[in-house]
Amino acid sequence: MSKFTWFTGQRPALTQAQLTRRQALAETSCLNDGPLNEQRLVVLDLETSGLNMRRDQVLSIGAVVIDQGAIDLGQQFECTLLREGHQASASTLIHGIAPSEIANGEEPAEALLSFMEFVGDSPLLAFHAEFDQRMLARALKQSLGYRLQHAFFDVAEIAPLVCPKAKLPHAGLDDWTQHFGLQVQQRHHASADALVTAELALILFSKARQQRLDNLPALLQQLNSRRRQRAHSM
Amino acid sequence: MSSADAIAQAGKTAVLQNIHGTMAFLQKFPPFNQMDTAHLAYLVENCQLRFYGEGETIIKPTDGPVEHFYIVKQGRVHGERPHSARRGTETTFEITSGECFPLAALIGERATRTEHLAAEDTFCLLLNKPAFIKLFSLSNPLRDFALRGVSSLLDQVNQQVQMRAVETLGAQYSLDTRLGQLAMRTPISCSPDMPLRDAVKLMHEQQVGSIVIVDPKLKPLGIFTLRDLRRVVADGVDLAQPIDCLMTQSPFDLPPDASAFDAAMAMTERHIAHVCLVERGQLCGVISERDLFSLQRVDLVHLARTIRHAGRVETLAALRSDVRQLVDSMLAHGASSTQITQLITLLNDHTVSRVIELTLEDLGDPNIPFTWLVFGSEGRSEQTLHTDQDNGILFEAADAAEAAAIRSRLLPLAQEINQRLAQCGFTLCKGNIMAGNPELCLSRHEWSRRFSSFVQEATPENLLASSIYFDLRAVWGATKGCDHLREGLLQQVAGNSLFQRMLAENALRQRPPVGMFRDFVVARSGAEKDTLDLKVQGLTPFVDGARLLALAHGVNACNTLERLRALIQQGVIEAQDGAAYEEAYHYIQQARMQQHQLQARDGLPYSNRVDPDHLNHLDRRILRESFRQAQRLQSSLAQRYQL
Repeated sequence: MSKFTWFTGQRPALTQAQLTRRQALAETSCLNDGPLNEQRLVVLDLETSGLNMRRDQVLSIGAVVIDQGAIDLGQQFECTLLREGHQASASTLIHGIAPSEIANGEEPAEALLSFMEFVGDSPLLAFHAEFDQRMLARALKQSLGYRLQHAFFDVAEIAPLVCPKAKLPHAGLDDWTQHFGLQVQQRHHASADALVTAELALILFSKARQQRLDNLPALLQQLNSRRRQRAHSM
Repeated sequence: MSSADAIAQAGKTAVLQNIHGTMAFLQKFPPFNQMDTAHLAYLVENCQLRFYGEGETIIKPTDGPVEHFYIVKQGRVHGERPHSARRGTETTFEITSGECFPLAALIGERATRTEHLAAEDTFCLLLNKPAFIKLFSLSNPLRDFALRGVSSLLDQVNQQVQMRAVETLGAQYSLDTRLGQLAMRTPISCSPDMPLRDAVKLMHEQQVGSIVIVDPKLKPLGIFTLRDLRRVVADGVDLAQPIDCLMTQSPFDLPPDASAFDAAMAMTERHIAHVCLVERGQLCGVISERDLFSLQRVDLVHLARTIRHAGRVETLAALRSDVRQLVDSMLAHGASSTQITQLITLLNDHTVSRVIELTLEDLGDPNIPFTWLVFGSEGRSEQTLHTDQDNGILFEAADAAEAAAIRSRLLPLAQEINQRLAQCGFTLCKGNIMAGNPELCLSRHEWSRRFSSFVQEATPENLLASSIYFDLRAVWGATKGCDHLREGLLQQVAGNSLFQRMLAENALRQRPPVGMFRDFVVARSGAEKDTLDLKVQGLTPFVDGARLLALAHGVNACNTLERLRALIQQGVIEAQDGAAYEEAYHYIQQARMQQHQLQARDGLPYSNRVDPDHLNHLDRRILRESFRQAQRLQSSLAQRYQL
């Protein structure tokens, strides 16, 4: 099989087919102001080799889709990434991905292309989204030379905004799943975490609707003003 | 591995985590725990997960035909409908984690009749209708579950639903199947002048057991079957004769909309093996005994015929085990408890009649016309395999002296009949409610005086007696005397509101065992610890309630379901309520019969007590809902009679 590859400076090595696919990835558009339950949103969770956003690597990606106000169980993404020279570390105990599984993983450029094709131009949602956003952006840049511009929403930030009475201002995913009595099938598995984050998001959207925050721009505006208030009071 | 394969593989394992998790959750509940793994995976892959905040409507009647099959993943859903008596709404059922809705509406391809609300924050899995239909045709456990009427109980719908489901969702053998559907091929027919030889040739070529003789407009004139052929060959008839000299005239017919059960009952009653299907006066099909019972080992029509012609009581006694086998196989074929009780009653009636005839032959006929009456469950045509004798004799007499004379002649006969019935498995009545008791071998005048005394003096004994004797029916002999007796009774009760009130108090005595907190109340001690009584606590409230309302409103019927239907027709109870009572009664009866069946197979004595903890999740839940309907009937009586 003939593969046409080339190297140019810092750029990653990609086949012609991969370059074509990268080219074809959807442009991100500005936020749709239609009602929340008419949106397609991708809920994402990453498992990584550690918490250092500059050094650690994405090991697996799990994602589910909220479409028309419901989680569509037929549209899911999960992939473990191949990482050369990966060794078990403290975080292996958390995510439970064995080094052998990583060794059998998907080649990162392929996996990330498939993932971005799965995402399309949909906004992304994650719990503590900043971490996932930065880890994903770095992986995309390193493996694909692609600049991530998708909008991210942080479920950890939306939750206290629409549920002020819960008195959980800095709570983690476990606190919120417990608060709403949700069951996680396998915590720290990217797919299962993505699913429970999506379930949490559905609850929060339902509460947001009651507070007339029924579209993404309105929600974003509230989140921004809350951020400003908190910065001000600090 | 090529990269495309790798992605497909990765995609699969990715789906597996959450899909598997959801499957593992569903596998804790029926019918999902019995479903094939591949079918269950297909189900989950085609689901959406949706959230409903507390108080949010999930589906309502105005949404139009139901488009999804809902499974509660987490939370609670209430069914609400307008209150029948008061303003506002009432919660008619509750659905919790692992349970699904609205089966009846989905299968019936219509809107739900009940608004479904999230009683608390709730997640539901929604399977789209095309995927549901596909699974319905592939998965037996799902289909059985859906057709068993769990949702029709919850949704309070009539049983039409099941019949339509069979049409839309693929043929499935059931006693509710339309005859038009069972008669696949065009009927073989001929004109009346066809020579016998040609008619038989036609039957042979077409490989059928019967030929229908029709006029030019296709109206059936007669039928000729293989059994008839045996007869004419034995008689040495000329094969050139036209067939109309040899056919059975005016064959019995049913419309194609009648059910398989209707045909089975007709064959059993009339001892025939073929039923013509006729629509607008034209022959459109023939149903044979074999079409109906091709799957059954014991055949109903044959059994009825054998009973009716048995030459000795011992033969009748031996046939009881065939009756049990038949009931077994009918239960397995999804026959409803109503169909089975009707059938047992019919076979029991045949047995009783035959026992009376044999006894008359053996002891000599006194040549006094009399009517054999039955009371209680036998009177209501609601017998199960567990049958007590409750019977009496009615005869006509001009005065007390003549009555006494006739009685003394009939009593030995009656006592012998009682003994022989006992031999056939009809247990002797502990309370001596039997025709051989001089107090129950009465002239019509004596009976009506006795019944009046029950109504006039409402002592506890008389109330109890009225709950047995007022469900009466004639099984053998002229029925006119029994009809007169019942008419007189209805007149007396209709005009006596005090008696009605006493009956109502009586009907409230047995409280259905449903506790405050969504569960059962069971016996706390003794041998019956942790059990409840399906008959006394479950069925009796319906039977007593229906009897009271029927007697008070001049309803002739004795059967509880027939009484309920007549009461709906007269506007005494609302159609929706009646249908719900019917479903509930039906289910409890079914549960009781299945239990008897198991006990009979294990050689245990029959018992109506059941430990709800031994039931599976589904049965437990339906039973609870059924008892809740009994409770609703009682509270409507309490309201009506201001108790």
